[in-house]
Amino acid sequence: MFKSFLLLTLKSIRYRSLRSWLTILGIVIGIMLVVIIFSLSSGLERAISGLLQSFGSDLIYIFPGKETNPVASIVGGQKFKVDDLFALEKISGVKYVMPADVSLLNVEFKGEKQSVMVHGAPWSGMRPIFEESQGIKLASGAWPLSEDANEIVIGDLSANKLFKTPVRAGDEITVGSKRMRVAGILSPIGVQQDDNSFYISINNFWLISGSDRIAVTAIVKANPGVNLDLLARQIQFELGKQQTVRDFSVLTPAKTSQLIGSVISLVELFLIVIALISLVVGAVGIMNTMYTSVLERTKQIGIMKAIGASSENVLSLFLMESGIIGLTGGLMGILGGILISFLIGLGAGKLGTQGLFSFASLDFYGFAVILFVTFMTGIFAGLLPARQAAKMEPAEALRYE
Amino acid sequence: MENKEQLFDPVCGMDIYGLSDLKHVTHAGKSHTFCGDGCEHRFKQTPDRFLGEPLIRLENVWKVFDMGDTKTEVLKGVNLRIWEGDFTTIIGASGSGKSTLLNMIGLLDRPTSGKVFFRGKDVSDAADIDRAVLRSAAFGFVFQQYNLIPWLSALENATLPLIFAKGDTDGVKMLKKFEEIGLKDRVAHRPTQLSGGEQQRTAILRALANNPEVILGDEPTGNLDSKTGNKILEMLISLNRDEKKTLVIVTHDADIAEKADEIVTVRDGEMLRDHHIHKRTYTEFNV
Repeated sequence: MFKSFLLLTLKSIRYRSLRSWLTILGIVIGIMLVVIIFSLSSGLERAISGLLQSFGSDLIYIFPGKETNPVASIVGGQKFKVDDLFALEKISGVKYVMPADVSLLNVEFKGEKQSVMVHGAPWSGMRPIFEESQGIKLASGAWPLSEDANEIVIGDLSANKLFKTPVRAGDEITVGSKRMRVAGILSPIGVQQDDNSFYISINNFWLISGSDRIAVTAIVKANPGVNLDLLARQIQFELGKQQTVRDFSVLTPAKTSQLIGSVISLVELFLIVIALISLVVGAVGIMNTMYTSVLERTKQIGIMKAIGASSENVLSLFLMESGIIGLTGGLMGILGGILISFLIGLGAGKLGTQGLFSFASLDFYGFAVILFVTFMTGIFAGLLPARQAAKMEPAEALRYE
Repeated sequence: MENKEQLFDPVCGMDIYGLSDLKHVTHAGKSHTFCGDGCEHRFKQTPDRFLGEPLIRLENVWKVFDMGDTKTEVLKGVNLRIWEGDFTTIIGASGSGKSTLLNMIGLLDRPTSGKVFFRGKDVSDAADIDRAVLRSAAFGFVFQQYNLIPWLSALENATLPLIFAKGDTDGVKMLKKFEEIGLKDRVAHRPTQLSGGEQQRTAILRALANNPEVILGDEPTGNLDSKTGNKILEMLISLNRDEKKTLVIVTHDADIAEKADEIVTVRDGEMLRDHHIHKRTYTEFNV
């Protein structure tokens, strides 16, 4: 019975293949979106948490503004006095404090001008954070030895891609209005923004940017074995005594990844709502197609009923058809979603962010749920028109042309 | 539809109460009244046959199509009897209601009021599923437009009633039937690839798939040239003659009407009295 009905259904779907494919397409788009969001967001989360781990597990970050909205306060321009930051070194458990600032500056190399993010921090702090906490070494050259030396370290991309001629260690480059010697070039970090940046000592940064002993952020390196949460609370208390920046945040790696995770889940939720809406649109599409195709086939329904089909027979034929359309849409959506995520991952990999896509982040249980949902979507979308078709008297249906 | 006294012709089933010039026959000590010579003649030949319950009986059947602001009365209280094993033709002008009458006989439609009996059982208000089962088991339909399913092959079309009746098909048995009527090499073709005659022969095989008692034809030769039409007609009549199937055909064709045991003439939704005489009036000679 089921087999015969399935065969009848497949023949009927194939008979109006263009119509069927267009309906399937309506479902495919929604499902594709869901799959892309799921597979990339978990990859994104992993990429970010990997990045955080590469920053080191013994670092505490200080920046102005509420921790839930760091960007706004950085853009807002509030900065710490460096001396307030250095005062934190008195807290036991703090190995050292590295104040840091960043600015978009004009640079010039062999007559070619570019705008570059320039990070300023003491070499004494920057070098161990690169080398020990992140495992980034110099590809060529050497770290500057003096904080006041007229020297600069640049990222891999800014050395090899930024200018027409690649920059080599020992070359001269103008930053702002200051001529500086390229002391070293970093090996690739893997984050496009960091690889595109210039790194200078905080003293030179103040000279070039014309600011006086202020910094937008600071990284606190803790002594081994220190409780970071406790230390963060002490820093919060001590730094609370200064008056320059009223709102500031002290973040441990654990808290950071938690924060980023919650932001990503929020974005994920938003995108899934969009995907669900598009799924509903797809369902309405199926409903519309089923309606017209029921109308188109009213006469055939009459024929089938005239030769002995019951209302249940007609109903199951139509429901199987819409179910199959939904299921096919789901299957193709999953495959299409995987393919597109894979391509996005490939593209992101080329741009420097590795591992955005991976099969590990795809959940086969989730796929089963998607297929079930699309199948049911098809069934429900087909229910209304199919029931209407099924309850017609044969003669009534046969009169249709 | 008012409540009045009724008198039914035992052969054709018409309500003949109050009509003049009725025929009377006394059989087994009982008097029977007939609408005309035809019914009287048939009764006299085999009186006992017409004393029981007919295969199909229509009782005051009305069909009104409600088109919003206009109501069309297509059947106006038809009383009709179809006897088992008879070849009955229904004739009448276009729009007279003869196809609607056939739909009532074959359970393709429900009457607006009145009753349809099959073997004495009222099936006009039976449940949907019961009517479907009865259609599947007792009736085989042949249409003027052949009405094959366009996305199925000839063989699949012919075996379709088996799927609905039993859930499965017997393709081999059906293939043999196609062979018998000389369509073996056409079984895999879709309806659009078949000639009208081939389609109608396929439709007849489909009508016979569940071995029904009644074959109903709605102008089955209407779309065919006379030679092919005759072949189809021969097929149908031989089903009546050789396999004792009850055959009801709606037609315009006087030649078909000529061969029937009973001719029912319909005009403006009502059965005509003396329907045997009227046969030439509404056939193609003067339509």
